[in-house]
Amino acid sequence: MSLSTHTTPSGYLLPSIHSAPPFFTEQPNPTTQSTATEQWIRLILGYARHRKLFVLRVEDAEAAGSEWDEILRNERINRRILPDHLSNIIATMVSKNLASYEPAKQTRSALIYWRLPEEWAEVLYDWVVSIGQLNTILTFYDITDPPLESALTNIPIPLLRKAIAILGKTGRSQMIAIADGEGVRFLARSR
Amino acid sequence: MGGSQSLPKITPQDRAILDLKLQRDKLRQYQKKIQHVLDREQAIAKAQLAAGQKDRALIALRRRKYQQGLMSKTDSQLENLEQLVTTIEFSLVEVSVLHGLKQGNDVLKEIHKEMNIESVEKLLEETAEAREYQKEIGDMLANTLTLDDEDAVQEELSALQKDILGEDKEPHLFDLPTVPSEEPRDPITEGMFLVFTFILHTLKCFARPSTPT
Repeated sequence: MSLSTHTTPSGYLLPSIHSAPPFFTEQPNPTTQSTATEQWIRLILGYARHRKLFVLRVEDAEAAGSEWDEILRNERINRRILPDHLSNIIATMVSKNLASYEPAKQTRSALIYWRLPEEWAEVLYDWVVSIGQLNTILTFYDITDPPLESALTNIPIPLLRKAIAILGKTGRSQMIAIADGEGVRFLARSR
Repeated sequence: MGGSQSLPKITPQDRAILDLKLQRDKLRQYQKKIQHVLDREQAIAKAQLAAGQKDRALIALRRRKYQQGLMSKTDSQLENLEQLVTTIEFSLVEVSVLHGLKQGNDVLKEIHKEMNIESVEKLLEETAEAREYQKEIGDMLANTLTLDDEDAVQEELSALQKDILGEDKEPHLFDLPTVPSEEPRDPITEGMFLVFTFILHTLKCFARPSTPT
């Protein structure tokens, strides 16, 4: 069995380890297992960045047809990751602060941080500055669904909230809430 | 940093703008929904037509037409809302411009208070007086030059002039005779002039010894 890289239909280059059958099963040896988990985390983060995916669910491993199929399954060697295995990987990612359960208090779905909330905060702020929307009030819809696609298009609201809260700590954002919903105002960097 | 970053207050205007923007978002989402319905009705009409049920397809298309009407209505509503939001935001900008102008005006007034015309006139007068005084001093100082000094200065001046003239002359190739500097006189008057000066001179000589006493 030759291991080789493979380019998926969506243009993502899978590492050669993805065509190794043992990669898809949990290893009894803790060292081997932790190395494999490292590889999985790298793969998940890389693929999420490539496809701009934000949420990974244990359910994605249970049935075919999800956005994650290209990495969670390998039809060429007839392997797929098992839900329990994926659940463990997600737990490791959460413990390493590379993901967070969303909604909280469950372990079935998680936000994947291929950018940390701090990094998202900077991306958000830079975007707001670039479109000249400092000091104006933006709705979340304005940010997640702008007329022109941006780096923040389709960003999940919980992640967006985190980024806004981080900017709020340095006085660069201000939340405004009314009965009908919420908005946010970004302010010039105060020195 | 004191930890207390002063955030601008959330004014009722802010709330109103946010409200409008949220309404706008709702309209946009509604449009998305209608677009979805439009696509669905077309797909249904196609499917019915393929199944040979022409009247069902017609109904689906009629529904679609109705939704299209809704779509254009929401379009115009959206336009209204967006215009309103833009107008409000622009008015806010205008308000801040007005505020800036007002502040500038106040500052200018403050400065003018310190700089009224009377004091400027007084100042200018004083300056003129001071200048006058300075000039007097200068004149006095200039007059302290002794006559000897003045002579030396004059001599220097003429030496310089000579230098300049001498330099000017050098480039001439031919030495032309110079123009006589005195007016030509006829010999008789010249002789008489000489005699006259001689007499004058002798008279002076006689007069001199008596003057010192």
